[in-house]
Amino acid sequence: MTTSRTDTFDEVCATLRDVLGVEPDEIEIEREMSLTDELGLESIDLVAVNAQLAERFGPQVNLAAHLAEMDIDDVIALTAGGLVDFVDDALAHDRRAER
Amino acid sequence: MGQAQINGISTHYQRIPATGSDGPAPTVVCVHGIGYDSLASFYLTIASPVAEAGVDVLTYDLRGHGRTERPATGYLLADFIDDLRGLLDTLEVTRPVHLVGNSYGGTIAFAFAARYPDRVASIVSIESEPPTQQWSDKMGTTFRNVVEAMSDEQNIAWVGETFGSHYARLTRAASAVIAATTIVDEVAAGPLLAADGLAAIRCPVLSIVGSEGFQSDDLGAVAAMLPDCRTEVIDGQNHSVLVERHLLVRKLLLGWLAEHA
Repeated sequence: MTTSRTDTFDEVCATLRDVLGVEPDEIEIEREMSLTDELGLESIDLVAVNAQLAERFGPQVNLAAHLAEMDIDDVIALTAGGLVDFVDDALAHDRRAER
Repeated sequence: MGQAQINGISTHYQRIPATGSDGPAPTVVCVHGIGYDSLASFYLTIASPVAEAGVDVLTYDLRGHGRTERPATGYLLADFIDDLRGLLDTLEVTRPVHLVGNSYGGTIAFAFAARYPDRVASIVSIESEPPTQQWSDKMGTTFRNVVEAMSDEQNIAWVGETFGSHYARLTRAASAVIAATTIVDEVAAGPLLAADGLAAIRCPVLSIVGSEGFQSDDLGAVAAMLPDCRTEVIDGQNHSVLVERHLLVRKLLLGWLAEHA
């Protein structure tokens, strides 16, 4: 599957809204918004985000493994855009590995 | 993600299967602490890398925490032990497991090992103590002090200004658990272990403590009360060993499993 960055952003936003339990017209997600402080995700919500991303994009998108390499301060500072970049990087890495 | 009915409580758990392993993999069961903790403390730090090292990882939200149901009462240590037993039985985990407990989760691990010694291969305790009378006194005092501090909105504002809004939100979340349940009254009540109970913890134990953490008054206290315990001290570290030093915890855990799995 090939996914453009715009598609990834939309898919990630849909995931975040689903986990937060909000409708698209209730919250406009922007790339620079932090997942915890601005969108209000708790760490247990990130577990649900991890599962949904793997379901939408495939098991190669392993957010938990990615976060496990980060400091707690970087996890807290993670933005929606940072999450999109992570997904795109994981998909690109997977495509390179397939070649 | 899984949700299982354990002792009448809808319980959220996560299993991360071992990868890159031939033959039966050892099982690590991660037990988090109380208050604002949840399985996320393990899931987002050490679970994936440990699974990639060939270990089955199981972690779950304690009753009243994370995505597990929150009953108004039933927070004695005996309830948490029954829940762990029920979860292992329900998921058909019958071989002895390696319990990794953070803070109160470690206390649950010690109590479980004393009651069911044949079901525990080893314990990795992170900033934890077995449930002795001394532990109960210290835990009760600490918990009451924390509750009193959290009841003052000015203190929560201070947490936000000092450590960031994320931590202020966590503090409010812990306040919600405390306000909605009898956890404060029950959690330090035991049942407690005396000398014979401690002697029943026959499995090898790795006690990881921060030099400025919950055991700062006596860093070797846990090792002194158990038959087979090694202590690792992390200099300059407070109680938040798992979250703030998870890379080191992972290294210690994988080394421990290489020795004992």
